[in-house]
Amino acid sequence: MRIDRPKRKLEAVGLTPLIDMIFLLLLFFLLGSDFVRFSQSQLAPPRGTGGTEGMSQPAIISLAETGQVQWNGAGVTRAQMRERAAGLIETDAEQLFVVMPAAAAEVQQVVGVMDDLASAGASAVTLERDVFDIDLADF
Amino acid sequence: MKINRPQRKFKSIDLLPLINVVFLLILFVLIAGRPTTDHPGEIEVAISRQETAYVAAPLSVRLGADDKFYLTGDAPKSLAEIATRVAETGVAEQGLAVELIADRRAHAAALMDFRQAMAKAGVGEIRIKTEFAAEQANGN
Repeated sequence: MRIDRPKRKLEAVGLTPLIDMIFLLLLFFLLGSDFVRFSQSQLAPPRGTGGTEGMSQPAIISLAETGQVQWNGAGVTRAQMRERAAGLIETDAEQLFVVMPAAAAEVQQVVGVMDDLASAGASAVTLERDVFDIDLADF
Repeated sequence: MKINRPQRKFKSIDLLPLINVVFLLILFVLIAGRPTTDHPGEIEVAISRQETAYVAAPLSVRLGADDKFYLTGDAPKSLAEIATRVAETGVAEQGLAVELIADRRAHAAALMDFRQAMAKAGVGEIRIKTEFAAEQANGN
């Protein structure tokens, strides 16, 4: 005997829950993501504390508040500083660079100089207080 | 006279293009974004052209634009307190690095004070957290 089943109506699948979930996923990833790429500038240990020190004399780089740079006491541009640093690194890969920023110089300026030295190939960069900023009470 | 307008059929809006676009947005966020770090929002770190792999250090110290140091909370800490924390965590004994999350507007004097205090506490390596940007408007 043939049984006639009632024909089911094919209803369209509701897309609203799907869209809700997708928007929630989008919100989750948007809020949980960081678009800033962080990096790190490495400071070598100070001189005389057992850090990496090359055979040659360290290069002293003074940084003024205005951003002007001196290389072993002589004023240079940042490009000249990079060239000199690259020249020293050719002879000694472990050449130590000592950056002496003025007290009023900003961290961004210090990082800028460290960047320049790193781009010249310097691997050992340390910070020391500018001789004019040394507090005698430290001794 | 009554005018019989032809009845318009209300067709449902096609949602597939919307879903496609939203999926593309999710893909973009997934690819371009990275999981959020615990970077403090109030500190704008210095911009650097050098891209190095960012490795979180066991101890992070914040240096605000006001030249004050902070650990986890909002209360400023003295360098002596930070040195005590360094000793407690054993960072110096294990030869580990300390991370300095310094605001780009902070002054080098505070940076040098921190350097000196950490050297006294036995910390050799300090990593300054920076933000990588291919072009930096700081050189001359």
